[in-house]
Amino acid sequence: MREVTGIVLENREIARGIYSLTFSAGEEISVRPGQFCMIGVQGFPLRRPIAICRAEGERITLCYRVNGNGTRTLAEGCKAGEKVSALLPLGNGFFVQEGEKKVAVVGGGVGIFPLISAIRAYCDEKEIYAYMGFRGRDALCLEYEMRRGKELVIATDDGSVGYHGTAVQAFMEDFDRVRPDVVLSCGPTPMLRALKSAMQGRNVPVYVSLEERMGCGIGACLVCVCDRTNGAHARVCKDGPVFEMNDVVL
Amino acid sequence: MADLSVNVCGVSLKNPVIPASGTFGFGREFDEIYDISCLGGVATKGLTLKPRLGNPVPRIAERSGVILNAVGLQNPGVEAFIAHDLAWLSQKTRVLANVAGSTLEDYGEICARLDGLVDFVELNISCPNVRSGGMALGIKAENVKEVTRLAKDNLKKTPLIVKLSPNVESIANNARAAEEGGADCLSLVNTFTGLAIDIERRRPILANNTGGVSGAGIKPIAVRMVYEASHAVNIPVIGMGGIACGEDAIEFMMAGAAAVQVGTQNFTDTLACPKIIEGMNAWCDRHGVKNITEIVGAATFNKPAAK
Repeated sequence: MREVTGIVLENREIARGIYSLTFSAGEEISVRPGQFCMIGVQGFPLRRPIAICRAEGERITLCYRVNGNGTRTLAEGCKAGEKVSALLPLGNGFFVQEGEKKVAVVGGGVGIFPLISAIRAYCDEKEIYAYMGFRGRDALCLEYEMRRGKELVIATDDGSVGYHGTAVQAFMEDFDRVRPDVVLSCGPTPMLRALKSAMQGRNVPVYVSLEERMGCGIGACLVCVCDRTNGAHARVCKDGPVFEMNDVVL
Repeated sequence: MADLSVNVCGVSLKNPVIPASGTFGFGREFDEIYDISCLGGVATKGLTLKPRLGNPVPRIAERSGVILNAVGLQNPGVEAFIAHDLAWLSQKTRVLANVAGSTLEDYGEICARLDGLVDFVELNISCPNVRSGGMALGIKAENVKEVTRLAKDNLKKTPLIVKLSPNVESIANNARAAEEGGADCLSLVNTFTGLAIDIERRRPILANNTGGVSGAGIKPIAVRMVYEASHAVNIPVIGMGGIACGEDAIEFMMAGAAAVQVGTQNFTDTLACPKIIEGMNAWCDRHGVKNITEIVGAATFNKPAAK
């Protein structure tokens, strides 16, 4: 966990409304898949929590969707050569056990980006079956990264590319053939709920990465809590963002 | 290198910079980024007698130059703090235990529990008072005096800071009420009550509807209130509200603050507090100030023009 002033190397649109920001952190940062970064936006008091999509030495890549004024300013105002303040790597990240060979990753929307970091981390030692959902063709991006695994199914809501339907539907149609040892997922809450209901009784561990509005990003301020099924609160930024699906209320 | 040390109620602080309650937990997370023993002290997350789960999410929103929060005093309870965090935090820096009650009576009990264990107790009086129809205890001067008196009666060893709410008719009157109730020190401002509406969804952003506004955008109001409060009483005042750099801290001290707290800026930059300490030192060096206490209340105010 480091506070750095990075130098922006590239910040460009890679699909409609989706941007990829690469910066040099000025020092080598060791990142686990599924960890995230709090990125400063000039003129905004709160940093934005964004999943780390790729980490190669000092080079960190974050992918984000323009959702509001902060991300719009980040997209339009943060140019190559400029400084950017960043706090990283944060959170626990995904962890696949030694005995878990077949890994299914199920993602939707901007949830595909932390999963790409998992595909990159595990593609050499695991069999990765990826099910990635997009609204349509113009939202599709980073297909070459998702193809690093054993299999990839792209699902689109409008059927313009690949499977016509959701990533969860595509995954469940394949489930009996693939028989994954573990499932990693990230996406909108309705998608995670659909996955939870579909995986009920299948006895396969499912890890989900959650999203919440954050303050400090390091576990101090208790802004970004989620409910555990045992009634306690967990901090999404520090205890998560990755949780065993049955441990949290979606 | 200026002497930044200050003395507040007989307690020496190595510098006047204290992270504000609620933005810093009990210090452990920030200590993973920098050694927090460089700080003048730490104001803890608000403590209650029993653990509290707090409000539903979203608990935070952002507007130009400010944030709104409605965490709802989530905390593990005073006993968990004493058992797990107090010894660690005490060997790092001065501890300002921020406390809140669900009822007026809670304040006496929690103060008695912490008496002699911490460097200061800081009273959060912005929580609703059931007997006043849910109105916050900190709004009316007579309630401020009453809760201060109750807390002070239960503190034999530890100095009492009363943290004033700015959502009041007269900050000077409430400052005097706290002093009359026996406060050893004041801190202000707590957050301003605000509202942010998501116009696409036509709903408030915060699950709690309203939240406390903090950040750079409130600073001029906070400086004015610190000036008014510090000139109304004879006890020290800790100033806060939108401090983002050393110069901001200097400004609060010139308005009359003996020390300062830093809240929202810890979110913008985790190194905010050490940078503010460094910035204050650099300012003193540039201006030939040898001792930071020279600047407390040092601003000269204009006389009102004759009408």
